Amino acid sequence: MTNDWVDLKNADAIFVIGANPASNHPASFTWINDTRERGAKLIVVDPAFTRTAAAADLYAPIRPGTDIVFLGALMSYAIQNKLYNEEYIKAYTNALTLVNPDFKGPADLNGFFSGFNKETSAYATATWQYQTDKVKVTVKEKDASGKDVDVEKEFSVPKQAANLDDAGTVWSQLKKHYARYTPEMVERVCGTPKDQFLQVARTFCATGAPDKSGTILYAMGQTQHTVGTQNVRAMAMLQLILGNIGIPGGGVNALRGESNVQGSTDMALLFGDLPGYLGAPTDRHGDFKTYTAKFDTTSYWVNGPRFATSLLKAWYGDAAKKENDYCFNYLPKTSGNYSWISMFQAMYAGKLKGLIAMGMNPAVSGPNARMERKSLEKLDWLVVMDLFETETAGFWKAPGVDPKTVNTEVFLLPALDAMEKEGSIVTSGRRIQWRPRVAAGPGDAKTDLAILDRLAKAIKAVYAGSTDAKDRPILDLNWLYGDDPEPDVWLVAREINGYALDDVKDAAGATLLAKGALLPAFATIASAANFDAIACGNWLYAGYFAPADDGRGIWRPAARRRGQKDPGNLGLYPYWGYTWPANRHIIYNRASARPDGKPWAENKKLIWWDAEKKTWTGYDVPDFAPTKAPDAKANPAGAGLAAQSGTDAFLMKADGKGWLFAPAGLAEGPFPEHYEPVESPVTNCLSACQSNPVVKVWATDKGKPVGDNIGTSDKFPIVCTTFRLVEHWQSGTMSRTLPWLAEIQPELFVMIGAELANERGIKNGEIAKIVSARGEIKAVALVTPRMKPLTVDGKKVHMVRMPWHYGWQGLATGDVINDISPHVGDANTMIPEYKAFLVDVRKA
Amino acid sequence: MSKYGMLIDETRCTGCRGCQVACKQWNDLPGEQTRNRGTYTNPPALSAKTWNLIQYTEVETNGRAGFYFLKHACMHCEKPACASVCPVGALYKTTEGPVVYDDTKCIGCRYCMTACPFSIPTFEWGKGLLDQALIRKCNFCIDRVSNGLTPACAKTCPSKAITFGERDKLIAQGEAQIRKYPDKYVNRVYGKDEVGGTSILYLSAIPFDQLGLPRVGTTPVTALSEQVMEYTLPFAGAWAATLAGLAILFRLRNRGAQHAADDVHKEKSA
Repeated sequence: MTNDWVDLKNADAIFVIGANPASNHPASFTWINDTRERGAKLIVVDPAFTRTAAAADLYAPIRPGTDIVFLGALMSYAIQNKLYNEEYIKAYTNALTLVNPDFKGPADLNGFFSGFNKETSAYATATWQYQTDKVKVTVKEKDASGKDVDVEKEFSVPKQAANLDDAGTVWSQLKKHYARYTPEMVERVCGTPKDQFLQVARTFCATGAPDKSGTILYAMGQTQHTVGTQNVRAMAMLQLILGNIGIPGGGVNALRGESNVQGSTDMALLFGDLPGYLGAPTDRHGDFKTYTAKFDTTSYWVNGPRFATSLLKAWYGDAAKKENDYCFNYLPKTSGNYSWISMFQAMYAGKLKGLIAMGMNPAVSGPNARMERKSLEKLDWLVVMDLFETETAGFWKAPGVDPKTVNTEVFLLPALDAMEKEGSIVTSGRRIQWRPRVAAGPGDAKTDLAILDRLAKAIKAVYAGSTDAKDRPILDLNWLYGDDPEPDVWLVAREINGYALDDVKDAAGATLLAKGALLPAFATIASAANFDAIACGNWLYAGYFAPADDGRGIWRPAARRRGQKDPGNLGLYPYWGYTWPANRHIIYNRASARPDGKPWAENKKLIWWDAEKKTWTGYDVPDFAPTKAPDAKANPAGAGLAAQSGTDAFLMKADGKGWLFAPAGLAEGPFPEHYEPVESPVTNCLSACQSNPVVKVWATDKGKPVGDNIGTSDKFPIVCTTFRLVEHWQSGTMSRTLPWLAEIQPELFVMIGAELANERGIKNGEIAKIVSARGEIKAVALVTPRMKPLTVDGKKVHMVRMPWHYGWQGLATGDVINDISPHVGDANTMIPEYKAFLVDVRKA
Repeated sequence: MSKYGMLIDETRCTGCRGCQVACKQWNDLPGEQTRNRGTYTNPPALSAKTWNLIQYTEVETNGRAGFYFLKHACMHCEKPACASVCPVGALYKTTEGPVVYDDTKCIGCRYCMTACPFSIPTFEWGKGLLDQALIRKCNFCIDRVSNGLTPACAKTCPSKAITFGERDKLIAQGEAQIRKYPDKYVNRVYGKDEVGGTSILYLSAIPFDQLGLPRVGTTPVTALSEQVMEYTLPFAGAWAATLAGLAILFRLRNRGAQHAADDVHKEKSA
């Protein structure tokens, strides 16, 4: 989330697209209900009339996998009706920046951007770059004799136009790109009736006014698509156009699917990252210098090399020295894609011998799950750490599997629940809250930390005394969590927070931090002269466990605070826990003020420039250099934030701007463009490019009963989308085992519209068969007016919706819905396309 | 006028069933073996093991879907019919508002079930009469309320649909809400006058009967039963004597409260 849960109360419109908070984030309705009573509008766009839709002021249906058309048309509507915040766009986004004149988009190239290579199915991004201006700046340097001399140097800076509509600007390219996304196109592609789209557009785009704010809430309904990343970008662009980023009640807010998934992402759960989003080194990074060269030098990322150094110091302590690249060569380097689908493909091919599944249940949750269960059969060993015997732990006795044919050795380690251990949980709003242990666990169950601690210590013991250089990463690894069988979680917190290995000094020699002290903030790493005297396990969490005031004069580790003061009554609650980064609750909040530093409106004020004290002040911690004046000029010769001006609100970007056009970072182009899901009932109405051209479609064992089979609409005419219930949780491990939850949603079901049910002769409560190119499952038919067919490009398209919580273990059971979902994923993140695939529904 | 009540604003309810589960948790009620019968409502009805049930209503108006939720549990009438027909005085209205029952007096005659205009009291059908099968229903978490806590359902509600408080104030609050948002609500607080008033009060966006609340009129059911009772006094006296005799017989056959507690325990571990 750019904002926070409580901040929903500040919104004038809440736009839910690709989420169902009433079911999946029920606590959010405390704020959503209150906001609505103040007159805010709740807008829900979803294939089904969900529990959230039941509460909505406006509901519009949409065909799964067409969000970019809907969002693109909203941008177009805002542009054509001049509902955007022009001052915001000019100052804070790259709208005025000029793009390479050779850039061409889907409007010119029938669905493609310039630079596409058909052989590799990838883009060369040279034409996506900004035009640059050469600027000459006089800088002081020392000559050979050590004297200060003035030297004139030339720097490249992005070239800016004077007016939004000048030829070649990002804005003019954006207008051209989305001119194709009309309300009529929405009706044709998304199946949303035009008048319903226009109602949504009028209501939400009204938040472009400076004294209004609108928030977008999304979840897996946006991300689990082959265009998932571009879906999210489309939302961010709409919010930039409406001036809704950085202000109370605004933002792009991801409703995270698990209570600590934000925390695990921050700590680099994903293969491509290191803690604090530093990015994992790849085989292109031969040494630390090459690796750190990837960080921008004209944004706050100029400190990236320092943060990476403090991370290596936390992991390798004294062994990490400047001379040995701080042990950078100890880190494994990736040489390809290690995401979920790739990993299971490698397992299926027999390349992966062992797997530790910690709180994961791939036998139920993975796409094409039958194939993934077959992959598990190819393992030599499988360790499952969980609360119950999951379907993964028991994959060898799945229905239809003969245990005698499975040679994988399975170990089930009983783990403790979140309530049975002490530690931190990070909310979707980035708020880190420390929680005590409130219940004892059963029997021999251990915390994940204790299990990993025992494993690490055992591995270290095996290698103890080795003189082989290749064993140094294991021998030199810091493991400072105590000698007890149950490691001290406070010591883990200390390492993540960061501490001084030696006295930390600034350039003038003054002590910033005494040896052994906890790091108060990541700014200390950024300003220290001897920053390699700091160990910090995650720069974004620096200060989260350091003593801090709870607003009542009581000092305690910041994440353990429960102070309830709320300056400005905006629901920021800065003394409750600790919100990364730097206890900032609304990120990019420089944009909450006008370019001149005054709030956009009294009712939306958050931070502002105090001209007398020459400092930024307000209710939130400024996401900006604290004393940089609004009229400060950028210094092209400067490093980091010095290279940015007093209106460069997006300080993590090399140009300080919010990107309406992404010159880098996305595989399929600088603007989100609509491509149909890999399995779609229709041909793409917008271009000749049917599906995302850079997506990898696997073809392992294609044509076999278990394999990467892709279906077509002649055999499988119905769109299936998966969803979650409030009554069950993820793959059901923690909920299908509880009698009180099992009784309220006892069986797998499929939501079918009355018309489709009639066509197929299926009655409510009967068993239906759902068939895809991957296989076939059975479920109870829930015939409901909450699912309706849509008219797409003149053709009637039926949709069905299925909860994915079920498996054969536990009290509430059912077929595994992912047995029929495909092994295809987003081009950037590889998140599987669970939300739109083709099936047929028959009477069982 | 009674003291406590609950105002349930069904327009704020999201049908999450937090209250249904919290009720089972606090009252130590076991899960039931259920099937999906083509609806979210589950278990199918109130039972001895389920005292609070969210009922889902799907309607279609002019081709547009509607999805509504009703929290279905004891209304805690001001003049409870169940109490008035209970031959042994097991059911009674407390001065704090809740209508509760005394297990040691209940004889399992099920008069209350037929008398209740809201079909609330349920019976432990799984047990035989001789096993001291009793009447079960929501008791307003009297153990919590009498100790200064809010009922489990109100406490857990994440969308703040359930407000616990003094009945008079809740009625005023409900009416103020309707005045403030006249387009959003049916212009009436259900339970203010129904059967002479109930402790549980509802606000709704759709007609109450569509939501699943019965049209019961404003006359207390007790007034009717009292009229009938007036003409049947001799019969009632004889009947009461018979029942009293039965009650004594059952008590003798029983192994007492410990026995019952064992049963609950066995059921839980089963």
